[in-house]
Amino acid sequence: MNRSRKNVAGTKPAGAEQINDVRLQAARKRLAESKDQDDAIEGVREIVANFLGSEEMGLFRIDRRTASFQVFWSFGIDLEEYDLLRALGDAGLQRVMRGECHVEFGTRESSEVTSKAQAFVPIMVADQTIAILAILRLLPQKAAFDRSDMELFKLLSDEAASPLFGRTGCAKAGNEGPGMSA
Amino acid sequence: MAKKVLVVDDSKTALMMEREILEKRTSYQCVTAADGQEAVEKAAQEHPDLVLMDVVMPRMNGFEACKMMRQQASTREIPIVLVTTRSEESYMEAGFQSGCNDYITKPVNGTELVALLQSYLGE
Repeated sequence: MNRSRKNVAGTKPAGAEQINDVRLQAARKRLAESKDQDDAIEGVREIVANFLGSEEMGLFRIDRRTASFQVFWSFGIDLEEYDLLRALGDAGLQRVMRGECHVEFGTRESSEVTSKAQAFVPIMVADQTIAILAILRLLPQKAAFDRSDMELFKLLSDEAASPLFGRTGCAKAGNEGPGMSA
Repeated sequence: MAKKVLVVDDSKTALMMEREILEKRTSYQCVTAADGQEAVEKAAQEHPDLVLMDVVMPRMNGFEACKMMRQQASTREIPIVLVTTRSEESYMEAGFQSGCNDYITKPVNGTELVALLQSYLGE
């Protein structure tokens, strides 16, 4: 009896691409069918936990007037004291503000230690980053993010803003002028 | 006649993906339930050939549902595969003590999931 089946990052067995497509479709559908903001937040949590392998995450809303980040929501970790700027660094922040995902690939020392990998996903509206989804420690059985995870990051980046913040919130963010820099 | 799989998860996202994988990659018929209580009821009604069930769910968790299915004559022999984010040995042991046949961790690798189900149900 196989009592534990570890997922292996980077492997591409036959049918893996079709299964990745299924994963993307399910994530897209889940976001699109969100009934309200709470349901959209739950959708993002489900996508990160079920597909990306982390139960520590948070969403930072960008306040352009004060050039600051505010914790909008978190799960599995208290982010009130979390220093997003320090975690990202200047270069990382600039990349995320430009709309690129910033992924840190951690290394695992033993199966007992959770990975230090982190991902910061820009939540975009009309080429502007309006929020940053921070995905923190990975589950022990998830070795690292892989190529198919990048496609999921891109989907979250492009398609999560409207369900999360609604048309009004997105339009407001889009009208607030050019992005802030690091 | 197509083999029937009862997929149980309170996460709409996980349910959607597991159902899609089974429908696209296998010939199995898929029925779903959103928590352990509903799973116990559906297992008795639908007589699935296998139950694929999340552990952490509202109302009744996967361990409790597994125990209940093992206590009922009509569901006692159905293979149960538990799905969870927890991979610790003690947690898995609790799963096997509740009566599950196998255990798979999230994030679910779709290819491995299909292979696992086929090992119980054939292609």
